[in-house]
Amino acid sequence: MQRFLFLWICLFLTLSCSEEQDFDQADDLTLTPTVASSIFYFESDEPTINLADNNAFYQEDFTFEAFNEDFVAERVLDGVITYQLENTTSKTLSLIVQFLTATGAVLDTETFTVEAAPTALLERQVAYGDGGKPLDILVNTRVIRLTAENLGDATSVSSSPEPKIILRSSAAFGIQLR
Amino acid sequence: MKKVILALCNLLLAMPLSYAQHKPLLYDFYEIPQAIMLNPGMKTPFQWHVGVPLLSGFSMQAGTSGVTVNDLFANDGLDFTTKIRDRVVNSMVKNDELGGSGQIELIHVGFRSRNRPDDYFSFGMYGEGFLSLFWPQDLAILAFEGNGANIGRRFNLNHIAMEGEAVNVLHFGINRSLNDAWTVGARAKVYSSVFGFRSANNTGSFVTLPGQDNILRNTIDADVTLRTSGVKEFLDIIDEDTDTTRRDLIDKFISRSLFGGNLGLGFDLGFTHNFGNRGHVTASLLDLGFIYHTNAIENYTVKGTASNEGVFIELPEDLTNFNNDLWRDLVDDLEEKVPFDTNEKAFITLRPIKLNASLRYNLGASRNAIKDCGCALNTTSSNGAYMDYVSAVGGHLSMIYRPRGPQAALTAFYQHRLANTIILKSTYTIDKYSLSNIGLGFNLQAGPVNMYVLADNLLGYANIADSNYASLQFGFNILSWNSN
Repeated sequence: MQRFLFLWICLFLTLSCSEEQDFDQADDLTLTPTVASSIFYFESDEPTINLADNNAFYQEDFTFEAFNEDFVAERVLDGVITYQLENTTSKTLSLIVQFLTATGAVLDTETFTVEAAPTALLERQVAYGDGGKPLDILVNTRVIRLTAENLGDATSVSSSPEPKIILRSSAAFGIQLR
Repeated sequence: MKKVILALCNLLLAMPLSYAQHKPLLYDFYEIPQAIMLNPGMKTPFQWHVGVPLLSGFSMQAGTSGVTVNDLFANDGLDFTTKIRDRVVNSMVKNDELGGSGQIELIHVGFRSRNRPDDYFSFGMYGEGFLSLFWPQDLAILAFEGNGANIGRRFNLNHIAMEGEAVNVLHFGINRSLNDAWTVGARAKVYSSVFGFRSANNTGSFVTLPGQDNILRNTIDADVTLRTSGVKEFLDIIDEDTDTTRRDLIDKFISRSLFGGNLGLGFDLGFTHNFGNRGHVTASLLDLGFIYHTNAIENYTVKGTASNEGVFIELPEDLTNFNNDLWRDLVDDLEEKVPFDTNEKAFITLRPIKLNASLRYNLGASRNAIKDCGCALNTTSSNGAYMDYVSAVGGHLSMIYRPRGPQAALTAFYQHRLANTIILKSTYTIDKYSLSNIGLGFNLQAGPVNMYVLADNLLGYANIADSNYASLQFGFNILSWNSN
């Protein structure tokens, strides 16, 4: 019985002790996930390219507000936009991607020129933020202007099945959640 | 017998453990009147008992099966974000749980029937609350790393599982000693839910894969529901943020506690069966009931399937019908396919059912030997069966139903009586995460005054911040023992 009581006393003597804690370190927590998504996809067949009266067979502006959604615009740390250009037509082609403000001012321009098929897949990564172009470009972009130009003739037809020009794009952003 | 023990061990190890609301120290500690709340069919050695209002039964439990406070907040000079990444995001799994519970008795009274002394009635009111949050493993990784670093990884939405509530309970129970071998009991309960929330049985996933046409393809397939009742009323009061906010919150809490909230019904069942001169087995099933939530409901759902590869411009189709609002169309399409909705549909929640079972063997003296010991403490029940002992050993299995299924705890205990006024009970609880949970209980009977203190996982108190579990129960009662 004495041993039982001794065990009790020893165990209770250990009660309510705690190492020093520093709860302020929670303020140092940083959460910076990388959010990735495709941006836009452009495709044109060769007959459409041949229809154009002048070099530019396509030019349109479309709204694109992904970059300036509050969630992104207020938290973005850096970003990389990846473009992939694939040409299976018989034309040398040029594609121009421009980021515009809501009033139409050009913030950034990326120009791609690709030789007639056969040609390798063209991939380009454009960095924004740390070490890259200014982040303000992305944050202020409201409109994307896409221009496609035919730098070759307007009659030739590729022997490839379904010849096309395809521009793929995606973005990966570092977001400061906390 | 070996097969039974092996089966119990397998059952225990196969299930996630929950610390919340297991009360191995109090269970079958039948010198404490509050033990009858854990088994309405326990032995009742009282003629009557009255709990000191608000102090007759207080319990608090909190636990985490994963990281401890000390793991994160120790003043060790390590980078906090690194600790979160290594010890939480990369270590905890979906079955890890953060939980806590509390209970406070407002009134608890019991008395033995004059007309039928084998019957012991008890009634009262108590408030209780609990919180059970399972670690949303995949969503935490998604928030910490993002989908860009996890192309091809499927983030499961079924990792979202949580449950919590505050409820006031009015109860009435009857305990009957059928004969020397059997004591049975039942308790009826009326629940008044103050507030509650539950999100369980969610399905779906989010995944980023190489696209079919574009570079990436994000796909979400979601069927996620969070049901709440009462929560919005409290949040609205907090949002108002006026000079009377505190008073308003208290008033709201009281009004919803006293049957102004959502109501439900439930039952407890239990028995004790003596075998031989020294042993008995017990079992109880608690909170077999439901609450029907009809008012102050706000349910949230995200349901649907959508894939996205960005804005598409395809020529020649888009030459003539070009739409400049491609981005807005994309967002609208996504919101239409996977809508975030709210509704006020009534719903039923089942109470978290608890199952207890114990086996006990008295040591030191048999019932018949104690009968003639001349001890000061009355030792007979109303029908003459002996209730007392010198010491006892046994085991206790408790299980509770939680959003991820049943959770269990297995306990061995040793109980000893000192000078007929003090009873000590020590427990050793094993579980999937800890092999060092030692608990101690202290029950003092000073004349008609009964006082008890029960605490679990005492070794953890050496550094409470590094403990996975802490529990404390205490109470004061006035009681009269059965006459000889």
